[in-house]
Amino acid sequence: MNRVYALSIRLITLWLVTLSGASNTMAHQPVMDMAPRWNGGYGFQLRNQSDDNRDTTWLEGVYTFRPALRMTLKVPYIDSKENRGRHRYDSGFGNPIFAVPLKHYTNDGAFTSNWSLTPSVRIPVGNSDSEDNDWDLGLSASYSSESSRIYQLYDVYALDDKLGVDINWGPVFADNDGSSWFTLWDISALDSSDGQRILTGPVLVYFKGNTIVRAEYKFAALDNDDSWTGDSFNIGIGFVY
Amino acid sequence: MFYQPNIVALLLMLLALSLPSQAQTDRPALNIDATTYRVDVDGIVCEFCALGVAKKVRKLTFIDAARFKKGVKVDINNQQVFVAVRDNAQLDKAALFKAIESGGYKPLTITADDSQHGGNQP
Repeated sequence: MNRVYALSIRLITLWLVTLSGASNTMAHQPVMDMAPRWNGGYGFQLRNQSDDNRDTTWLEGVYTFRPALRMTLKVPYIDSKENRGRHRYDSGFGNPIFAVPLKHYTNDGAFTSNWSLTPSVRIPVGNSDSEDNDWDLGLSASYSSESSRIYQLYDVYALDDKLGVDINWGPVFADNDGSSWFTLWDISALDSSDGQRILTGPVLVYFKGNTIVRAEYKFAALDNDDSWTGDSFNIGIGFVY
Repeated sequence: MFYQPNIVALLLMLLALSLPSQAQTDRPALNIDATTYRVDVDGIVCEFCALGVAKKVRKLTFIDAARFKKGVKVDINNQQVFVAVRDNAQLDKAALFKAIESGGYKPLTITADDSQHGGNQP
């Protein structure tokens, strides 16, 4: 465990020294946060993210060395999309994001929680012209907890001139026989030099066996962001082993 | 940055609402077989949790895969794991606890229940 903390300190230092920005695609997704929690667990997820500016399909993978240490890779494919004559991009692969979630779990009777620190790096190998060609480093800190009835996640990330907060909260309905529904509410806030925005909306997660399906719709509760317009819709399916 | 005080207040409110529930006292009795053991496991409250623990426990050689779900049943309402042991095998407590820890959770106590004997459980 000490080695994990030492590694996290080194990564934080690296991030502070470089003071680099990062992409804002750090929000947690079920395959990446909830599971797999077991030693040697792995999974992948296919997710489509659609908003007013673009459609992005993500192929995401995760490997859990042990509960406190995972690695994830997210590869985006960006579809060209016309939006009132602007934000016209060529289709192609965006820049993949590699991350190393470091977690500290606490179990207490009918309650489990974890603090997580996730350094990430965005690798400039994509061929879509919608993204820059710079290496970007990112860091997020999150807390999530779960009882048999309530799930909650709070994620804070800072990047260059950006400060973001992501909150998931809501009841869980489990059948105690291998499947469960999560009916969450999501609040995503971002402050940057382009302005501020708060997106919010419902999230539905269904888990059965080793399969996870997640759908979320978010609308703009506050939009003073010059780089953003409209709503956002996400749907994905993941498998863990 | 003008909305930050509101976000902080909302965050605190949600945290307060989500403190661990103490309303987990209704523990229904489960029918278990003679060669069944019950392990109390801290924090095993979700189906994700159950999946990982069951995967690890099922790999143990003394597990009777013909009972429960391939030899394991996880009760997330009561944070208990039930394991079925083959008739001609002996439970290895250390291996069982290690498997549960490998699944991401901490086993607390183990209890043998030889009071019942019977066939398969649902």
